[in-house]
Amino acid sequence: MTLAILNIDWSTLADGLALGATYALMAVGIGLVFGVLRLVNFAYGQLVMAGAFALALASEWGWPVWAGIVLCFAVVLALSIAMEHLVFRPLRGHSPAVMLVATFAVAFLLQSIALLWFGALGKIAFSLAFLNRPWTISSVDIRKIAIVAIVVAIVCLALLQLLLTRTEIGLHMRAASMDFATSRMLGVRANRVISFAVLISGALAAIVAVMLTVQNSQVTPDFALRDTIVVLAGVVVGGLNRPVPATLGGFAIGFATGVLGGALPTNQSQYIPAIVFAAVILVLLVRPRGLFDFSRTVERV
Amino acid sequence: MRRHLEELVVPLGLVVAAALLGTLVSISTQTYFTDTLVKVSIVVALYVFIGNSGVLSFGHISFVALGAWTAGVLTVPTSEKPAIMPNLADFLVHRHASNVMSLVIAAVVGGIAAFIVGIPLMRLSGLAAGIATFGVLEITHNLLTYEERVGPGQNAFSSVPETTGLRQAGIAAVVCIVVAFVYSRSRFGRLLRATREDDAAARAVGTSVYRQRLIAFTVSGFLAGLAGGLYVHLLPVQVNSVYLDLTFITLAMLVVGGTTSLFGAVVGALAVSALDSWLAVAENGTSLFGWHIDLPPGTAEIVVGSLMAAVLILRPSGLTGGRELRLRGVPWRGSASRARA
Amino acid sequence: MTLTVEGLDVRYGGVHAVRDLSFTVGPGEIVGLIGPNGAGKSSTLHAIVGLAPASGSVRLGDSELLGRRPEEVARSGIALVPEGRRIFAELTVEENLRLGLAGRRGRDAPDYAGLFELFPVVHEFRSRQAGALSGGQQQQLAIARALVAEPDVLLLDEPSLGLAPSVVDVVFDALAAIKERGLAVLLVEQRAQRTVAAADRTHVLAHGALRVTLAPNEAGDTDKLVAAYLS
Repeated sequence: MTLAILNIDWSTLADGLALGATYALMAVGIGLVFGVLRLVNFAYGQLVMAGAFALALASEWGWPVWAGIVLCFAVVLALSIAMEHLVFRPLRGHSPAVMLVATFAVAFLLQSIALLWFGALGKIAFSLAFLNRPWTISSVDIRKIAIVAIVVAIVCLALLQLLLTRTEIGLHMRAASMDFATSRMLGVRANRVISFAVLISGALAAIVAVMLTVQNSQVTPDFALRDTIVVLAGVVVGGLNRPVPATLGGFAIGFATGVLGGALPTNQSQYIPAIVFAAVILVLLVRPRGLFDFSRTVERV
Repeated sequence: MRRHLEELVVPLGLVVAAALLGTLVSISTQTYFTDTLVKVSIVVALYVFIGNSGVLSFGHISFVALGAWTAGVLTVPTSEKPAIMPNLADFLVHRHASNVMSLVIAAVVGGIAAFIVGIPLMRLSGLAAGIATFGVLEITHNLLTYEERVGPGQNAFSSVPETTGLRQAGIAAVVCIVVAFVYSRSRFGRLLRATREDDAAARAVGTSVYRQRLIAFTVSGFLAGLAGGLYVHLLPVQVNSVYLDLTFITLAMLVVGGTTSLFGAVVGALAVSALDSWLAVAENGTSLFGWHIDLPPGTAEIVVGSLMAAVLILRPSGLTGGRELRLRGVPWRGSASRARA
Repeated sequence: MTLTVEGLDVRYGGVHAVRDLSFTVGPGEIVGLIGPNGAGKSSTLHAIVGLAPASGSVRLGDSELLGRRPEEVARSGIALVPEGRRIFAELTVEENLRLGLAGRRGRDAPDYAGLFELFPVVHEFRSRQAGALSGGQQQQLAIARALVAEPDVLLLDEPSLGLAPSVVDVVFDALAAIKERGLAVLLVEQRAQRTVAAADRTHVLAHGALRVTLAPNEAGDTDKLVAAYLS
């Protein structure tokens, strides 16, 4: 079955939804840290990269899949905590521009270290490659990973929503992202809330690393760099200041990129980055607060 | 006016000194000096906009790229064009320009491009501006990579006459510094800096933030285009060499030096470039004070990256503290001497 | 427990907001702090909770609070109802209250019944978004939120600001009830006469220093008040 306008079939649609789901998770990861720290972590993609390299190493060492995933989580969480202490804490209170450039520097630094360590060609992560093969459902091929990604993303978002609304720490995190000073004044522990946000953000990065390595098993030092930039654009376009619009923005840009990638012929699809970013700029000009931001909160950035 | 001239003389002096130093070394080492001087031009271009407006731009390297493409296409000998750039648009195939002319046109193209891009973008601030200018970089990179009617596409620019020597790069750096100085001392520069310090107050007295930013953006695009023209005549330029890495390193130079002063821009460019060049040499094996040093490839980026991260985290105002240098040794707050309320 | 402020000095850059201020607030007392704008009243409260740079001494009972982080001060038994109420508009009333629990020291459930008696509106609108409440209702929520932590000391920064007279009555009545329960209350206010009448004693601050202390029966003495304000 095809949609006549563009060449969109179910397979492309599924791929678009999967990429949207992956980017939505990244958007949440970036958004959580932004909420409590007012810091845009340009180096988020490097967390994903680190996780991906962990998976690659595990597969190179012949570890079972579950062990590789555990290593991935361990590496990403450790790196997240290191980032929090070495980069986020000293940067607290600086202007958003300084924070952006600083995390840009950290991203560049981590990429250079990976380049030194693993070389430009990087490593290959085999383990879950079987998920990249398609399921055939009534003569339509949908890659297993697409279904897995969508399901995992929905589960993660649902769990996160429960965490934020039903638990004490979740309430503290929400309050901290709205008004940190007043929250502290009420007794909310600043460091605990920040560390929690960083850890969840890291966990999401690890999940994304697993999802991305299935589709792209060649892990290079610039793994997820382009994705981060696109997700950041999506988050800002969606509406950085509120969590739901930010996530929607990440999803939207992922979905658009995925569908266009599959639907357009190659000589047009190579221009997708330009198209996507032109759209991003357009949205920023027309609705600088974000496409999906219908609240009346004051612009913070 | 004497005090203000000091702000021009010091950066000029540094650059001229660097150029003169370059004449004393071997021809192969001279390339590093020339490269440094071209980077000075780029960083000064960045300062003109970012330093004066306080708005972050990730997109200036697109103007460098456009300048490089323009100058490159104009100076590749017409006979060679079909071989290197088979899909080049007809009207470009037969255009040729002299070296200096190509640089001028490159600068003009950079300025016009910046003006066009700036018209919509100068309304934005903060993070939105950062993302939008990043978008400009991405769009330019994407288009230049695949659009073979305007250049070599994914291939490197070859057969471009290597005319950028120490003297040309030095003169261009001097030109850029003078332009930056004149701009920042002008009414436009001072108005723009006022908006950087206190947006609301500046608007209250009628300054058009948008107009001042657009002027600065255009001037900086012009300088960036010039630098791009120099670049293409120095090294075989490829799309990826005017993309993220160059964006990062030139921003690093500006920040490490001190974003808000011309002196800072020049100091940052010279210092970081010197370090980077030395590290690049060390990666090939060199000796320092009698010790043999052979760094693994990629160390240069790590050191520079760590340095930039460290400076940003520990001393965001940079090496110079964002101030211009007075020769008598008393730092003068060059950016905006406003009366403290 | 008694709140003791001794030799408090607050400086913001070049501005000397509070100079060598000393006073105490004992359990079951309401102490008022009044004065013209910029006198340093809010700065005093901020210094006590750790939100402003200060030197001197701020003690609750015997333990020194100055230099501690805001969340630690809150968990020591001091609750601040900030100027402008600072409630979380996008959270529900109930969530706002739950947030107040962050400062609690005890493990057992707080006395919600008593709170709802003082401020029935908080119970009535518990599922509504806090931003939908009126100014007066938000003020009551802010005080309830502070009380949920069962503090020893309650600090209030201009609670009657922007409120209709009838609502101001509700607030002052509640303060009287809170005083009955044995809390120490420090009340910063613009409404000079009302404060002087309600408090056990009222300090007048001007230019960061304590000028005069008024007793409740001096509430009608406008000359003395004006002289203190203008000194």
